[in-house]
Amino acid sequence: MIPGNKDTRDGLLFSIPFLTVYLLFMIYPLFHGLYISFFKWDILTKPSFIGLANYKTLFQDATFYSSLWHTIQFVLMTTPTLLVIGFLMALAITGSSPLKSVMENTFFFPYIFSMTVVSTLWAWLMQKDFGLFNQTLTLIGVRPISWLTNEKYAMWSIALTTLWWTSGFNMVLFGAGIKQIPKEVYESASIDGATYWQSVRHITIPLVSSTTILCLILQIIASFNVFGQVYVMTGGGPHGTTRVLVQYIFETGFRYYKMGYSAALSYILFLIILVISVLQYVLLGRKEES
Amino acid sequence: MKKRLFVLMVVLLISTLLFAQGAGEKKKDGPIEITFWSLFTGGDGEFFDAMVDAFNASQNEIFMKNDMVKFDNYYVKLTTALAAKNAPDVVVVHQGNLLNYVPSGSLLALDEYVKPGMLADFQTAPLEACRFDGKLYSLPFDVHPIVFYYNKDLMAKAGVTKVPVTAEEFIEAALKIKKATGKWGLAIDNTTGVYKAYTLARLFMSMIAQQGGSLLNADATAPTFNNAYGERALTWLQGLVHDYKVNPPELDYDAAMNVFKLGDAAFYFNGVWATGTLEATPGLNFGASQLPALMGKEAAWAGSHTLAIPVQRTLDPKRIEAAMTFIDWMTSHGEMWAKAGHIPTRKSVALKDEMKALPYRSDYAAGAASALPTPRTPAWEEIYGTLSDMLEYAVTKNQNPKQALAEMEKTVKEIIATY
Repeated sequence: MIPGNKDTRDGLLFSIPFLTVYLLFMIYPLFHGLYISFFKWDILTKPSFIGLANYKTLFQDATFYSSLWHTIQFVLMTTPTLLVIGFLMALAITGSSPLKSVMENTFFFPYIFSMTVVSTLWAWLMQKDFGLFNQTLTLIGVRPISWLTNEKYAMWSIALTTLWWTSGFNMVLFGAGIKQIPKEVYESASIDGATYWQSVRHITIPLVSSTTILCLILQIIASFNVFGQVYVMTGGGPHGTTRVLVQYIFETGFRYYKMGYSAALSYILFLIILVISVLQYVLLGRKEES
Repeated sequence: MKKRLFVLMVVLLISTLLFAQGAGEKKKDGPIEITFWSLFTGGDGEFFDAMVDAFNASQNEIFMKNDMVKFDNYYVKLTTALAAKNAPDVVVVHQGNLLNYVPSGSLLALDEYVKPGMLADFQTAPLEACRFDGKLYSLPFDVHPIVFYYNKDLMAKAGVTKVPVTAEEFIEAALKIKKATGKWGLAIDNTTGVYKAYTLARLFMSMIAQQGGSLLNADATAPTFNNAYGERALTWLQGLVHDYKVNPPELDYDAAMNVFKLGDAAFYFNGVWATGTLEATPGLNFGASQLPALMGKEAAWAGSHTLAIPVQRTLDPKRIEAAMTFIDWMTSHGEMWAKAGHIPTRKSVALKDEMKALPYRSDYAAGAASALPTPRTPAWEEIYGTLSDMLEYAVTKNQNPKQALAEMEKTVKEIIATY
C-alpha cells in the first residue's frame, strides 16, 4: 500500500466512470424495460398503463409459442454439437500434431468475422439455385438441397453456419482447460499402459468438467439469444418456421411498434434463461462437489 | 510525463472546440445545409443520389445532405429519431406507413407551407392519400404499383403471340411455354428470403379488388377476404405451383428476380422498381405492362414514396422553407426518378418529353390510375407481413384454400384487436 493512498476510496473513484456508464446504459434500461412491459406504447405517443394485459396476450399468442419452440430447436441443435466439436478441436490443438498451430488459427479464424459477414456468406453458399453448395452437388450428380427455403432443412442450415462460426470460441475455452491439467497425470497413465483414448476418457474429460459447465451455460444463453443469423439467412422463413423469439421481440417492437408487448416478451425470455442457468448451475455444481 | 500527457489532452480538447465553432460559423455565410434520410438502396439509390446532386447544383441557397439508411433498418432509425425529435429536415415515408407517425404529431402539417398552385399539379389520388383529417402530412414523390413483365423471346419461341391478360390465359400461355421451351411459365416468389413473400400478398390483394371485393372493410377494421373472391385468388396462386407446375416452388424474392433475368421464366410480377435492374440486364428482351385484369377489372397493389417534414424541437421557418423548396424540386423533376422505374406524381412531369422518351414506363404509367390505396390502419404493417407468411404457407403446402382463408381471417381479426 502506497502511503497516503486509500485503496477503497481510490478503487471507488476509479470505478465511477465505468459504473456511471454501466448504470445508465445497462441497469437503468433493464428496469425501464420491465416498467414498459406494463404499458401499451408505440414509441411516439404517450404510453398508457394496461397492467398485466401484455403478459395475458402473450400466453395466448400462437406466434409466441412457435417462436419459443423454434428457439428451443436451435438450442438443442447447436449446444451439444458446439460443445463436442469445440472439445475435439481443443484436443487436436493441445496434442502433439505438428500442424497444431495451423489448426488453432484455422479453427478460430471464423470467429473473428461479424455475424453479418458470416451469415451473408453462408446465405450465398446455400442459395438454392446459384449457391456454391448446390452447384457442387449438381456437378457430382446429387439432387440439390433447398438449404434455406425448405422447412426441414432451414434451421439445420442456420445451426451449421453457427457451428462453423462459433465452435472456435469453445475450442479456446476447452484448450485452456486442458492445458491446466498437470502433465504428470498423463505421464503416469501412459506408464501404466493407457491408450490415447483411455486417457482422454478418464483424465481429460473429468478434469475439464468445470470448463464444460461454463461452456454449456454460456452456449445455452448464446443460443437462446440467436437472432442475427436467422434474420439475415432466412428472415424467419420459410413461412415463419425459423422465426426465433428474439426476432419476434424485434418485430413486435420495431416493426409493429408494440413496445410494451415486445418488452413483456423479452422478460419472458429473460426468465427462461435465468431459470435454465440457475438449474444448470445448481444441478451440475452439486454433481461436481459429490 | 504525466503532466505532458495532460497538457496534450487539454490542447486537443480545446482545439476540437475551436474547430467545432469554426464549422458552425462557416455554415452561416454559405447556403443553408438541410439533411435528408433516404431508404433507397441498390438500383433506386443511384438515381436518387443523382437527383440530389442535380438539386444541389441547380441553386446555391440550399445544400441538401443525403444519408442513405439500409431499407431494413430505416423505419427503426426514423422512429427513434422522431421520438427524440432530432430527425432530419426531410424524410421519406411510404404512404402506407404515414399512419404510424401522423397521430403522434411527429410530422408537420404542410398546408400552410405549400406554395400556391403547387398542389393543383399533383395527381389527385396519391395526393389525397397523404391527407389525414383534412390535413396534408406529406407530398407524394412517386407511385409504385405491382406491374407485369414478360420475356418476349420466350414467348416468341413458344409461339405465344398474345400477351396474356386473364388468369386462365396466363395458365394456358405458361403451359405452352413450359412445353415448348422447358422454361418456367411464371416466377412469382413464394418463400421468405431476404424479404417475405410479399408478392403473394400484393397479388392476393390485387386479385380480390379486381373481382370487386377488398382485403379489409372500408374503415379497415375487419377482414373481408374469406369469401369466393379470396378463394378464387388463392386457388389460382396455388394452382400455378401445384396443379400446373408452371411456377417454381420455394422461390424467394431475389431468386425470382434472377430467374426472370436469366430468361428462365416468361412472366414475372414485381413492383415498378424492378424496371431499372431488368433493363440493365444484357440479352434480356422484355416488355412491361400494368398489372393485367387477371380476374375482372383493373386494380393493383401499390406503394407510394412520400416526402415529409418531421416536427423538430424548435421549428425554424427558414429550414422548413428550404425543405419545401427541395420537395417541390424533387417532385417536379420526377422524370429523373422515373429512370428507377417509379411513376411520377405531378401532371407537369407526365407531359415532359424526357418522360415520354423513357421505354417501359409509358407502358405501365396508366396503371397508377388503378392503384389500390393502402388500408388506413396502424395494424397494416403486421397484417401485411402476417398475410405474406400465411399465403406462403398455403401456397407451399397446397393447403385447402377454405381452411387457409378461415385461418387467415381469424389471425387478421386477432391482429386488429391488439391495436
